[in-house]
Amino acid sequence: MSASLDTGLTRGDYPLSVNRPELLRTPTGKPITALTMDAVVSGELSAEDLRIAPETLELQAQLADASNRPQLAMNFRRAAEMCAIPDAEVLGMYNALRPGASTAAELAAMADRLETTWSAPVCAGLVREAAEVYARRDLLARAGAEDGEDTP
Amino acid sequence: MTTAQPRPAGQPRHSLRTDILEARPVNLDGFVEEWPEKGLVAMESEFDPAPSVRVEDGRIVELDGRQRADFDFMDSFIADHAIDVASAEESNALPSAEIARMLIDPRASRDDVLAVTRGLTPAKVLDVLKLMNVVEIMQGMQKMRARRTPANQAHSTSARDNPVQVAADAAEGALRGFAELETTLGVLRYAPLVAIALQVGAQVGRGGVLTQCALEEATELELGMRGITAYAETISIYGTESVFIDGDDTPWSKAFLASAYASRGIKMRFTSGTGSEVQMGNAEGKSMLYLEIRCILMAKGAGVQGLQNGSISCIGVPGAVPGGLRAVAAENLVASMMDLECASGNDQSFSHSAMRRTARMMPQLLPGTDFVCSGYSAVPNADNMFAGSNFDTEDYDDWNTIQRDFQVDGGLRHVREDEILLARSKAARALQALFAYLDLPAVTDDEVEAATYANSSADYPFRDVLADLKGAQAVMDRGITGLDIVKGLESAGFHDVAENLLTVLRQRVSGDLLQTSAVLTADFTPLSAINDPNDYAGPGTGYRLEGERWAELKKLRHVTSATDPESEVG
Repeated sequence: MSASLDTGLTRGDYPLSVNRPELLRTPTGKPITALTMDAVVSGELSAEDLRIAPETLELQAQLADASNRPQLAMNFRRAAEMCAIPDAEVLGMYNALRPGASTAAELAAMADRLETTWSAPVCAGLVREAAEVYARRDLLARAGAEDGEDTP
Repeated sequence: MTTAQPRPAGQPRHSLRTDILEARPVNLDGFVEEWPEKGLVAMESEFDPAPSVRVEDGRIVELDGRQRADFDFMDSFIADHAIDVASAEESNALPSAEIARMLIDPRASRDDVLAVTRGLTPAKVLDVLKLMNVVEIMQGMQKMRARRTPANQAHSTSARDNPVQVAADAAEGALRGFAELETTLGVLRYAPLVAIALQVGAQVGRGGVLTQCALEEATELELGMRGITAYAETISIYGTESVFIDGDDTPWSKAFLASAYASRGIKMRFTSGTGSEVQMGNAEGKSMLYLEIRCILMAKGAGVQGLQNGSISCIGVPGAVPGGLRAVAAENLVASMMDLECASGNDQSFSHSAMRRTARMMPQLLPGTDFVCSGYSAVPNADNMFAGSNFDTEDYDDWNTIQRDFQVDGGLRHVREDEILLARSKAARALQALFAYLDLPAVTDDEVEAATYANSSADYPFRDVLADLKGAQAVMDRGITGLDIVKGLESAGFHDVAENLLTVLRQRVSGDLLQTSAVLTADFTPLSAINDPNDYAGPGTGYRLEGERWAELKKLRHVTSATDPESEVG
């Protein structure tokens, strides 16, 4: 996510829910302190309010960086990019990454879609890297053949 | 003996002692000779590669004797994601004995060790571990465990997939101290009802206990996304390319899935373990520990916060070969020295011998791990749908006594029966009220009564399975979420349980549970490797069982009073 979110968090800020609740908002823009029982009972809250926001994942990525865990931080940054992608499409993309499930062109198209539709360049990079390795290790679906993806 | 008795041909006479030994439970266990060519060897195989690493232009171009062009996908993923390229050549150039000494030297801090281990190749890690005996492995674990405070995890399942049983046993398990509870099913379609029951029971027993339901990836993720479960664990990875493909995944698909979980605020760890590759028929002639080290590095590279390992469902394989349980202890240490949360096995049952079952957990219990068991059976083993655990409900008092004997914290405690009965009854009543609110198949008063006093699924009235399965489907079709569960509990007067669950759900908005080794304490404070880092630095430091917690663990079912030998305390 954008560098403008760089809040200079340190390990001492963790847990954010205790030490920095003012930084935490739902994807719908509510402060975390608004997630009260009264709000549940009155029907003000929807399931969408109980999801994590991409900005929060960036904060957790900063904490992971501050804790010397760059891979964990990278995972959180990919996750931040995925927040907006609907559940079914996330699962579809996961299935498309299974061995032999996609052609080179399909993976390239998925990477492009991640990058352009979902503004998810880090995820797109992971998919392009997978495509390169799959090509070398013979794990791509054959172009023109039925794709091997399972449908329920 | 010179007066040998004549005996029938082919029928050697046995001593009475041999007869007794033959009848011992340990001789029902399976043992095999090593077969290194097939990977049936714990950690000492001449077929494992020698460590090597070469970096060019900021990329690893040689890994453990293999050139980049020849990398299989595990090599590629590990080289490009797991190993710290900047320190790789320097760290791998250190003598293995020096790294092994750092692991056991209290003057080298956990961070000092991590500064070296993050650059190591799989074969180098193996080379280090091969120098360490089991006591040294335990000493390493004591320091390298990511979270300072150890914890434990349980299975809560039912042979009849009875949600009432699962709720009651989850409540008891939570009350006894498990920080995480997992369930799975006999009949998969029961999952939504049982997962709800687990969540409700857990929040009755002790607010903040995290729950999961082990299913195939898509359903498991969906229950998590809906807030019916709080974390996930059964995301399997393997140490050879061929077995990984047999599992219908690659390191990239699994890394993508890891991010998918995090994107929904859900804690997740991968699962792997020694013996899985040989069990699945393609160890590529490598030792079990070498392949498991590749899994651990793959998990690290994916950026997942933790790993369940310690052979898990393949424990019979390392358990059958020489040095197998040493290798299992070693794989837990490797997960910890790669800075991952480690849920350290002691899971699937593997031995008929009570002595062997107890010995098997010592290398995790004594030093402490993030979760000593990644599946202590909080139901009788006959009800354990994970194929039974190394320990079950019958072992509670033994476990508590061993904690007290050695003054170690295995995450559990003795709880008085009146408290347990209250919690079990309340869990069943809460589920009864919630099912009524959600228009799901009724829980009767007879079932509540049974749940309060039951041991196993056989002690409950039969449920209408068809009606339950329809109800389970309705949970999915109607899009019921964790929020609906909160509303139902609140409106039925179970305010404290509703509040506990809402607090757990609120945590996913904060993302605090996504950090390494995170659990929720009883006052809902996230406790992870960030705010509870393992600071072991020798005798008198690190986690010590003392104060209130030690006082709690001194209690057992029967302890004679010092002032009145006629009475018991507690």
